[in-house]
Amino acid sequence: MPKESRPPSLHWQGEPTRGEVAAVLAALEPVAARGYELSAGPRRVRTVTYLDTVDWRLRGKGLVASHERASGPGTLTIDGDGVSGTTRLAEPPQWPARAEQLPDGEARDGMAPAMWVRAVGPVLRSRTVTREVAVLDDEGKTVARLDWAEATGTDPVTTTPLVRVSLLPLLGYGRDAKRVRKALRTAEGFADADGDLYDGLLTAAGIKPDEAAAPAITRGMPADVAVATALHGFARVIAVNVNGVLDDIDTEFLHDLRVAVRRTRSLLKLAGDMLPPPLVARYAPGFKWLGDVTTPTRDLDVYLLEFDALAAMLVAGEPDDLAPFGELLQSEREKARRTLARALRSQRFTRLIEGWQAALTEIIERERSEEELSAESLAGQRVRRMVKKVVRRARSITPESPAEAVHDLRKRCKELRYLLEVVKPVCDQAAHRAVIKDLKKVQDILGAFQDGEVQSHSLRDYAERLQAGSTRPPAATLLAMGELSARFVEMQLRARHDLTEALDRFLGPATHERIEALLP
Amino acid sequence: MKVIASYNLKGGVGKTTAAVNLAYLASARGRRTLIWDLDPQGAATYLFRVKPKVKGGSTKLVGGARPVGAALKGTDFAGLDLLPADFTYRNMDLDLARSQHKTGKAARALARLLRELADDYDVVFLDTPPSLSLVSENVLHAADLVLVPIIPTVLALRTFDQLAEFVDTFDHDRPRLHAFFSMTDRRKALHREIIAELPRQRAGISPTTIPALAVIEQMAVRRAPLPCYAPKSAATRAFEALWSEIAELLPA
Ligand SMILES: Nc1ncnc2c1ncn2[C@@H]1O[C@H](COP(=O)(O)OP(=O)(O)OP(=O)(O)O)[C@@H](O)[C@H]1O
Ligand SMILES: [Mg+2]
Repeated sequence: MPKESRPPSLHWQGEPTRGEVAAVLAALEPVAARGYELSAGPRRVRTVTYLDTVDWRLRGKGLVASHERASGPGTLTIDGDGVSGTTRLAEPPQWPARAEQLPDGEARDGMAPAMWVRAVGPVLRSRTVTREVAVLDDEGKTVARLDWAEATGTDPVTTTPLVRVSLLPLLGYGRDAKRVRKALRTAEGFADADGDLYDGLLTAAGIKPDEAAAPAITRGMPADVAVATALHGFARVIAVNVNGVLDDIDTEFLHDLRVAVRRTRSLLKLAGDMLPPPLVARYAPGFKWLGDVTTPTRDLDVYLLEFDALAAMLVAGEPDDLAPFGELLQSEREKARRTLARALRSQRFTRLIEGWQAALTEIIERERSEEELSAESLAGQRVRRMVKKVVRRARSITPESPAEAVHDLRKRCKELRYLLEVVKPVCDQAAHRAVIKDLKKVQDILGAFQDGEVQSHSLRDYAERLQAGSTRPPAATLLAMGELSARFVEMQLRARHDLTEALDRFLGPATHERIEALLP
Repeated sequence: MKVIASYNLKGGVGKTTAAVNLAYLASARGRRTLIWDLDPQGAATYLFRVKPKVKGGSTKLVGGARPVGAALKGTDFAGLDLLPADFTYRNMDLDLARSQHKTGKAARALARLLRELADDYDVVFLDTPPSLSLVSENVLHAADLVLVPIIPTVLALRTFDQLAEFVDTFDHDRPRLHAFFSMTDRRKALHREIIAELPRQRAGISPTTIPALAVIEQMAVRRAPLPCYAPKSAATRAFEALWSEIAELLPA
């Protein structure tokens, strides 16, 4: 059957009808006035739960996922740009859920790529009353259908009912569909709907997916206020991700938390002198602790996320050979998570985050005087200083340099990257993009170098632990691990080789010019 | 895409009734279905409440001047579309002959037209007028399966045998014939006798019979497929059995 495009829909601004036949038909009277007969179908009531990841990945890709139920476990539906599918559920779903926790079927297939490693959970729940009304011609033939839908947001807040009327055209009856649409558009009470029911419900519920995560710094801000503002934003990211980590919803909660910790530490290092020294002295060690206490779990997460890809890389061994290693990683992760959860539930953690946020707020809200160092000046000063540091280290790298020198360069590049991200709002945007792109190329190679080294070492470490365990692993497992280890060494060598060339490019005149264009 | 023709040289034997109900059941069982009402009288078109009108008529449609897709109408039922009848179909023989006068393949013109729809439908039903004409010859070539309703009389059997002989002369694209007894009356001894005997003597005769029932006749009044208004009736069950049988002969 030739496929129809998305039905046009209208917004009803009159009184909600609760789907009562008489009221719906009265509202649609302008259609009857054109000589059509209206035939109302049954009233249906269902609960619709809209789903997304905490960082709105589905919405970002133009997808709407929903769980609908009237009775029974209901259906899971995905709908959007070129993707659509519905899966009937055998049992009530549990939220949040990662892709691998969703039931097999079209809906999951449509959602999984956009979800990536993240879990979806309820964004909004609504109660929807619908009634389909067939539009009949003088032969009593259906020539179009009108889907009357009234949705009321019920969770997290109760909204007023929102009424949408969608016109579902029928193959070969385009002219009738046009007439029906025109009859409604020109009638009182109807207006073209901008966006679908979900959009309307989000707005009605005051949920704003596109809102910027944290207030950005501005050029004219005093330097200390700007530093405090950026740090406050990081602290907020740490705070909002804690529950996701504790509930083990998906691995990105911990990752985001850790990035915010690293950004905090970098900024303290590069611009902490703008803040009162006792404050920094008091809180900086806490963030080092937080970074350290989260590392083991994250390392294991990364291993496990890549585990299947690693297993697939084996040439001599079989993927199954790695199974005992996988089990070891799982049990280590359980242990690491328990330690991590204790830390995140500790008073030390609560005091760190709450005290820090309060102290930063005080700085942000302090009285301001005229001649203060501006955020803009500070940014220029610190970026130039950091660039100088990076360049000096990069210049000193030769093919013979020891690994430590490369690691050191990697760390400085990371600091520069974080700094650039913080000062982005006061920079020239095009130049900023270009500089980040240059830097990213170097960082990718440095990252591969580091990964290769860390991974081959940790494989050795794990192999010894397996050996020392109560059940000795089969030789095949150790051999497979050895094969992987060789791969990592190879990766490190390749990165080392690529580095020279990348650094030459990075140290050339173009980068210098771009950095100057970037700054005020 | 599978093509199923409902055909019999004789009139009033239940061709349209079978085509409409089986097309409805095919779509209700999930096959994307089209029914083409080739009869200028438009009985199937009438049953679906569609106006018997094809823009440009038979000439434009058969001549390829208008795409087949432009003439399609959605029925009131999901997954079931109709290509309506048009009064100009009474000249379809001429149009068929003319459209292929260069190739000399006038008997395969409909098959070619149907190919346009191959991606859109799983099953196409052809409801045909009672005649032996170029249209019916085209139908027999286009069909994967020819469904032949027969009223259990001796004469009716002769026409079925003649049809089988005719189809046998095709050197390729030979459709499978599948006859079933239509409008049977258990009270008539002759009906009982023929229904019992015939499937043993000839191949291609369905064990399912469609009894003569008032509820089937009502289709013309209701203007809807039988299963819509009498879903639990014995008549509906008979058509369901017939569809299951056909579905097995033509796996999706
Ligand atoms: N099993 C049945 N029981 C009772 N009435 C039937 C049955 N099958 C068909 N009829 C009725 O018999 C008449 C002819 O049936 P139908 O139109 O299906 O036959 P047809 O072969 O398509 O006829 P035509 O050759 O005119 O196209 C119709 O009025 C129909 O309602
Ligand atoms: Mg007929």
